[in-house]
Amino acid sequence: MSRRAARLLTNLAGVAALLFFAFPVYWMFATAFKPTNDILSYTPHWLPVPFTLEHFSTAIHRPNFGYYLRNSLLVTLSAVLLSLLFAVLAALAVGRFNFRGRKAYMLMVLIVQTAPFEALLIPFFIMLRQLDLLNQLPALILIYFIFTMPFTIWTLRGFVMAIPAELEEAAMVDGASRFQAFLRVVFPLLAPGMVATSIFAFVTAWNEFLYAFVMMRDATRFTLPIWLSTFQTAFGTDWGGTMAASSLFTLPVVVFFLIIQRRLVSGLTAGAVKG
Amino acid sequence: MTIEKQDLRTGAPQRAPGAGSAEAAPEAGSKAAVGPGRRARVLPYLLILPSVAAFVALLGYPLYQVARISLLKLDLGELIRRTTVFVGLANYRAIFSDPFFWSVTVRTVVFTAACVGLTMVLATLIALLLDKLGRAMRLAVSIALVLAWATPPLTATVVWQWLFDTQFGVVNWVLSAAGFGDFSNHSWFDTGLSTFAIITLIIIWQAIPFVALTLYAGLTAIPRELYEAIRVDGAGPWQTFRSLILPVLRPLFLITAFLSIIWDFKVFTQVFLVRHGGPDRQTITLSLYAYQEGIAASHFGKAAAISMVMVAMLVLALTFYIRYMLRTQEDL
Repeated sequence: MSRRAARLLTNLAGVAALLFFAFPVYWMFATAFKPTNDILSYTPHWLPVPFTLEHFSTAIHRPNFGYYLRNSLLVTLSAVLLSLLFAVLAALAVGRFNFRGRKAYMLMVLIVQTAPFEALLIPFFIMLRQLDLLNQLPALILIYFIFTMPFTIWTLRGFVMAIPAELEEAAMVDGASRFQAFLRVVFPLLAPGMVATSIFAFVTAWNEFLYAFVMMRDATRFTLPIWLSTFQTAFGTDWGGTMAASSLFTLPVVVFFLIIQRRLVSGLTAGAVKG
Repeated sequence: MTIEKQDLRTGAPQRAPGAGSAEAAPEAGSKAAVGPGRRARVLPYLLILPSVAAFVALLGYPLYQVARISLLKLDLGELIRRTTVFVGLANYRAIFSDPFFWSVTVRTVVFTAACVGLTMVLATLIALLLDKLGRAMRLAVSIALVLAWATPPLTATVVWQWLFDTQFGVVNWVLSAAGFGDFSNHSWFDTGLSTFAIITLIIIWQAIPFVALTLYAGLTAIPRELYEAIRVDGAGPWQTFRSLILPVLRPLFLITAFLSIIWDFKVFTQVFLVRHGGPDRQTITLSLYAYQEGIAASHFGKAAAISMVMVAMLVLALTFYIRYMLRTQEDL
């Protein structure tokens, strides 16, 4: 096969991959902006022309949307802050100290990252029911906190270890206490890592469906994933409304992801290749 | 990890990008070190105490409870009266003698194998493709991969159902237009197999990007001179793959395959939202089965026993993963 033919074949494969991965996302946004007549057409209209915002209006004017949005933000942000707080402490311990049980602790964190929460649905349901926490937002906060804490610890540990300990030692030699050294030296350097990790935790909690669906019973306690999942039945086949809601729900996640993606992949391989 | 996959595949524990491997470790600097003075002895324990307490309360205790509940007769009546009726292994005997349980278990294993197998093969091809493409195309494909990866699993499920919609779905139109026959009004959700195919497609669409980008990152670490050297020695593309690329990528292959197994085996959201286990209960997997027996039908004891089977199978997969991580992550 000639060079040119090989080049062409490679590029064709590239176009195929591009279409396969990007088209569904494009189609979601395109459908959201199309008038219903163009959506319900036997021949696809590839571009959202003419263009309408009516589906977005339908989506956000559904009953209780305000509650869903508020609940999602409240639950997600609380869980992220809580897990960040716990994780910073733990990351400092494993990133700065050599202590007995350190290895066992990290191993536990690693195992817990793969915890099968799908298999813990029943005990959580029974426990929350007995504590009268079913249908209460704090229950979701606790659950998302424990979902996100393990990888927050694991990731922050890496960021802590990347900050040279000599910096703190120097501050302490200059008379700063350990706490002051942390606050003035480590904390500012750790901040970017904390942001990246929090975004990741945010996405995890923001997307969570199963526990929100099972534990929350009233519409006023639902989060956005529940809002999105009820569209199809409630609207019959209002694909425009469904796609508009999906677009709104997806947009913040995609933006965040594009911001932190590079760091995530390179981080993973930095750890894994060395074996 | 997850940070890598939501699992990093976003998702969370959803595959979300989540769980897992996130060795986001930037170049690990000094290993844990330093603690001037003895009084620093207690400090690390104080620092890990909150997280240990949280793990025990919110993971250890539920794990103990699922084991305990699996030994109880716990239906709605017992739940409301708050009575405890120990029945020993009766729930396990009940599920193990139920042919439906076995078909769900086999189905879940086959489904996991199909998802993981397809993910690994296609991701490898895409990683190799990225390596061959020119700059602009490579950037475009990478962005497309990140888009699919970042899409919330919930959204992905809704969007793919729209693509495969019976009347107005783009897929039916394209297949008809491309001459594969008349696909107008073809329903993809009439049979269990076809429904499973769509679910698999949704899952691998989001799973491939994480694995492909990870493998590609590994590929770029191979010095170009090695390719040259091996070509001078007369190796063809297949031999280059086997004797150069494969050995270098082996650790990444293993880790991403383990994580994929763990994630795909327990996946709930996509399977549930496509047809709630239908048609005719044919796409019920173990996590849906536990949900339906427990939450929907209020047989909590039986559901806990099903969950225990899931936990046991995951522990098996995890053992290999942990052993591997212990061997390779010296700074664990």
